[in-house]
Amino acid sequence: MITLYINGLKVSVEEGTTLLEAAQFLGFPIPTLCHMEGLTPYGACRLCVVEIGEGDRTRLVSSCTYPAEEGLHVRTASVRVMRARRMVLELLLATCPQSKVIQDLASKFEIRQQRFRQEYDDCILCGLCVRMCEEQMVAKAIGFRGRGETRSIGTPFDVPSDVCRLCGGCIYVCPACTLRCTYTEPEKAICGGCANLAPPCLKKDSFDDMMCYMDPCVACEIKKD
Amino acid sequence: MKKYLSVQEFADFRQRILSEKDVEYDKPTLVVCAGAGGQASGANDVIRVMKRYILERGLQERVAIKITGCHGFCEMNPFILVQPGRHLYPKLKIEDVSKVVDSAVNGYVLDGLVYKDPHDKKVYRNEDDIPFFKKQTRNIISRNEKIDPIRIVNYIEQGGYAAAEKVLANPDPNWIIAEIQKSGLRGRGGAGFPTGKKWEFARAAKSPDGQKYMICNADEGDPGAYMDRSLLEGNPHSILEGLLIAGVAIGATKGYIYVRSEYPLAIKHAIIALRQAREIGLLGKNILGTGIDFDIDIFRGAGAFVCGEETALIKSIEGYRGEPRQRPPYPIQKGLWGRPTCINNVETLANIPLIIINGAEEYAKIGIPGNTGTKIFSLVGKIKTTGLVEIPLGTKLSKVIYDIGGGPSGNAKIKAVQTGGPSGGCIPARMFDLSIDYESLAKAGSIMGSGGMIVMDDNTCIVDIAKYFMGFMKDESCGKCFTCRKGTQRMYEILEDITQGKATMEDLDLLEELALVVRDTSQCGLGQSAPNPVLSTLRYFRDEYVRHIKDKRCDAFVCKDLVGAPCQSACPLDTEAWRYVAHIARGEYDDAYRAIREANPFPSVCGRVCHHPCESRCKAGTTGGEPVAIRALKRFITDRTDPSVYKPLREVWTNGEPPRVAVIGAGPAGLTTAHYLSLKGFKVTIFEAEDEPGGMLYCAIPEYRLPHDVIRKEISALLDDNITLRCNTALGRDITVDGLMEEGYQAVLLALGAHKSKPLHLENEDVEGVYPSIEFLKSFNMRGGQMAKGRVGVIGGGNSAIDAARTALRQKDVDSVTILYRRTRDEMPAFAEEIEAAGQEGILIETLVSPTRVIAEGGRLVGLECIRNELGDVDSSGRRKPVPVSGSEYTVELDTLVVAIGEDSGIDAISPARMSGVETTKWNTVKVDRGSLQTNRPGVFAAGDVVSGPNTVVDAIAAGKRAAVMIDRYVRKVPLDQPAEVRLPKVFIEPPTVDETEERQLGRIETPRAPAEWRKRNFAEVEVTFSIDEATHEACRCLRCDLEYTRPKEEEEEEATTAVAAGGK
Repeated sequence: MITLYINGLKVSVEEGTTLLEAAQFLGFPIPTLCHMEGLTPYGACRLCVVEIGEGDRTRLVSSCTYPAEEGLHVRTASVRVMRARRMVLELLLATCPQSKVIQDLASKFEIRQQRFRQEYDDCILCGLCVRMCEEQMVAKAIGFRGRGETRSIGTPFDVPSDVCRLCGGCIYVCPACTLRCTYTEPEKAICGGCANLAPPCLKKDSFDDMMCYMDPCVACEIKKD
Repeated sequence: MKKYLSVQEFADFRQRILSEKDVEYDKPTLVVCAGAGGQASGANDVIRVMKRYILERGLQERVAIKITGCHGFCEMNPFILVQPGRHLYPKLKIEDVSKVVDSAVNGYVLDGLVYKDPHDKKVYRNEDDIPFFKKQTRNIISRNEKIDPIRIVNYIEQGGYAAAEKVLANPDPNWIIAEIQKSGLRGRGGAGFPTGKKWEFARAAKSPDGQKYMICNADEGDPGAYMDRSLLEGNPHSILEGLLIAGVAIGATKGYIYVRSEYPLAIKHAIIALRQAREIGLLGKNILGTGIDFDIDIFRGAGAFVCGEETALIKSIEGYRGEPRQRPPYPIQKGLWGRPTCINNVETLANIPLIIINGAEEYAKIGIPGNTGTKIFSLVGKIKTTGLVEIPLGTKLSKVIYDIGGGPSGNAKIKAVQTGGPSGGCIPARMFDLSIDYESLAKAGSIMGSGGMIVMDDNTCIVDIAKYFMGFMKDESCGKCFTCRKGTQRMYEILEDITQGKATMEDLDLLEELALVVRDTSQCGLGQSAPNPVLSTLRYFRDEYVRHIKDKRCDAFVCKDLVGAPCQSACPLDTEAWRYVAHIARGEYDDAYRAIREANPFPSVCGRVCHHPCESRCKAGTTGGEPVAIRALKRFITDRTDPSVYKPLREVWTNGEPPRVAVIGAGPAGLTTAHYLSLKGFKVTIFEAEDEPGGMLYCAIPEYRLPHDVIRKEISALLDDNITLRCNTALGRDITVDGLMEEGYQAVLLALGAHKSKPLHLENEDVEGVYPSIEFLKSFNMRGGQMAKGRVGVIGGGNSAIDAARTALRQKDVDSVTILYRRTRDEMPAFAEEIEAAGQEGILIETLVSPTRVIAEGGRLVGLECIRNELGDVDSSGRRKPVPVSGSEYTVELDTLVVAIGEDSGIDAISPARMSGVETTKWNTVKVDRGSLQTNRPGVFAAGDVVSGPNTVVDAIAAGKRAAVMIDRYVRKVPLDQPAEVRLPKVFIEPPTVDETEERQLGRIETPRAPAEWRKRNFAEVEVTFSIDEATHEACRCLRCDLEYTRPKEEEEEEATTAVAAGGK
């Protein structure tokens, strides 16, 4: 057994337990997007960062991949952690603004604006689908391709895969493409999220900026280029 | 080759080789660098020609050839080093190769071809005397020049495999690890983890089946770094030896060299070396009968930067995507295929044999405690001598950059150095005293990294550099961590916005905030260090970022979207130089005049005496040729065009009585303000202390450069009904600011100039015969006073020193004139053409001397005691400091001494200002708000030399223009801020058609001058204006940078299609 301290609480866990598991066992909430029980921890979304160490030698690590160490001091919601987490969420919102999961998280962490050039990506490359396909469906139909900003997920050379059984597991686990904002159908778009009788988003030419799932909606606050 | 089966047998073999080789070179040897750098510069051709020549002449018995890897002096490739004399023949042309062979055979030195310092032309017959080599400690890289990398015997001759023999004779890991620990060797890959400690951990780590791995990391990917490549190419056996020793120490039986496919020569040499080592029995099963198994494989990486990270490297060897993973577990515990794996950098391994042979204590003597041994850096960028530099850790940065590298490559000052490649940081020149060791570099916000050193000078834009590195990072991030992938991309976006003038100050804060989070939240070293270039440049060069954002200026003239046409951007008046040059080329002289006059109310003056910043930024000059003679072209136009072709736009003041403004000082700044305010309908009164307007133009610039009637004509054209000029009226004596305000002037501009020369602060300075330069020039220019007599000395190196000297020469009782300057001629701040003209007229320029004592007899100057200087260390201005040589004092006999070491606005000029309740600075200048030019007193503005200290004419005019805008705003009660805007060329002027077949001389036409013998006797203008042919020729040399912004779109496309069609033929 390994003994460590999470937010000052002493806890003993088995060897091989991750910090995320240990924190969740104690009931400390840590947001994640790329973690799922039953799949290998990957550490891609960086939302689950926690601060470890003491004194000057502290650092942030992803709790989903970091193994519990004897005597380790962990803080799951320090100032440094929150600053990082909010920036990660702001980046997510700038990249993939229409995902309900991301909007909900941003709401929860009171992100009221994003200051980057707005993009409308469908994927945050968390890799859940890749791991689902490989580890649970044992198909390995999709994987990562490219690196840096051209990294993407798909089949090799975009040729439809022979091993894909169209099981839909990849879609099921996706945090970004499920429950999208229905901005293409204006009549369904009034979400009530902002409790505004005349939501300004409806008057806009484009409904791209709407974030119906956010509570409150921050569409009005997003700056245009 | 025979396989040796016991350590003793191998030892005998080694001894035999060493004893056979009793002298280093039994005959003259021609050594050629054929590393990647050498081959790229044509070393293969040199070798081919050399071989053929030797065979043709039958010289095989008399001369030998050795083809080696990189020597580090890459700037000089291709070269031949003749041994044993160590004569270096750099940058060889093919036709000279035979001469070098002959000289080697016959034992003489070719002084025409042997290495010469490119700057001072000093000849170095022995390579070891060259400063680049002399100041290094070349323990590792020096072996490259003695070894043919494809011959194992060569390596053994140089003491190679002696360390392996020593280790195999006593294969106890404990002593090996203890030795390495004692040496203090730290990882040369960048992080600096103690190697001995790593080996100890690897030794202790438990493997499920006893298997452990040893990996050499040769995935060198930093832009500008190539020391690992050079070692692997030039001395592959030393890496194998290092790996073997490491394998024995940690108990690994298998080693890998992970090298990128972009290094084909390194791979080839490593493969050959491996085969030889196996044949001889140093690798494989049961090495030399000791029972130790160790073999090495080469693994070729596909060139992803991230694969230099150890966990990604392991994944890559295993056959997966090169993606880092969480550490812990560290590779030392769980590495390749889940077994303990020790990864060391190429250079670390190259150090191992040295430590084993010479002993740890010997090794630890090099460097400083905690940072022992030497490190190889690749010194590249804007530096005189690029190449591989090996120095002990703890050496000062300045030594590497100035002493070994020889300082800046051009005239620009060195600004910063980027150490550690894209993951490293920028260290500014003022911190070059920094010791190069792991801790100091980290403290300065950089890292050692693998050892790249990219030197930047004032022509490098820091924001652009940060953008370049960030662009590299966003492409090379593996993309796994969201913050690294998106963070680098977003940082790049913001940096791009800054270089295009689109960013705001909030974006700068966001950039910093994001950089800190990316550093915090990324998993591997790549992501954690990716923001370093941004963070370190923000730390040291924030001003430069702010200048891009607020002023929309790139002072290095790099960011295209802010610079536009460099000539226009460089001009403080924003004159569209490209436009009038284009008109001159087309013969449209009136249009050219209008283009000049729109920006500049003093075109004839500036056509003669402007310091032409436009020319120093001209693309034709900065790209290797000579700049277009823009100033002379301006003069050409003003000399032949009637000023009346330009009709300025006049506004009439409609809103009641026109406001009254007082301008104090009728120099270029004051006159400019008065002119522009008058155009807006203001009533302006100019107060001038002297008899005539013109300020410094009139009293400081000699007539042979700027005739007085040119000034008078130009000024009278500016004066109109709205302007009243009152000469002989001085501030403090005749008027006061309070008085003017009471009289009803709504605003006052102080444009008093700087009329006081700085004193030498020497005894006897006030005796007869010693004059401050301004007083000297003023007395002559205004009243014709002939103060100079007999032998004249002038102290200083600026323009006023040259002016004083040339004026003195023209006075009637003068026998000789000598200028005394404390630095060298290259560092004189005066314009080069003025210095040259002075020389032509017979003025002596004595450099590297400082005055120490004024010798006077009976209250009159009789001589000056001087001391000689030598150049010392580089000071904060980037120039070498003059250091007096004690005992070198000497005396010059002088009848007149003019002191021209700079001007001051002086107490005289300032005290009335000060009495007016205006705040001043410690440099005796008036303090103003930089943007609005307003002093601390509302309604009182100041511009020109009284604000900036002694400065150029255009800067004064520019300040005057700005003051006019601000006074107008003040009177209209509009806020005094004017947001900066980017001025890109807008008007399209069709380039003249040039007959391509006609043979044309392409060089710059030097401004014609009157003959020196004739002109030095009078004050007639020295420079002569261009003829029409000369002007057209010169104007046609313009590269037309403006077309990139103004050329109509269709034409561009048309040109592209024609180009494609022409290419397809």
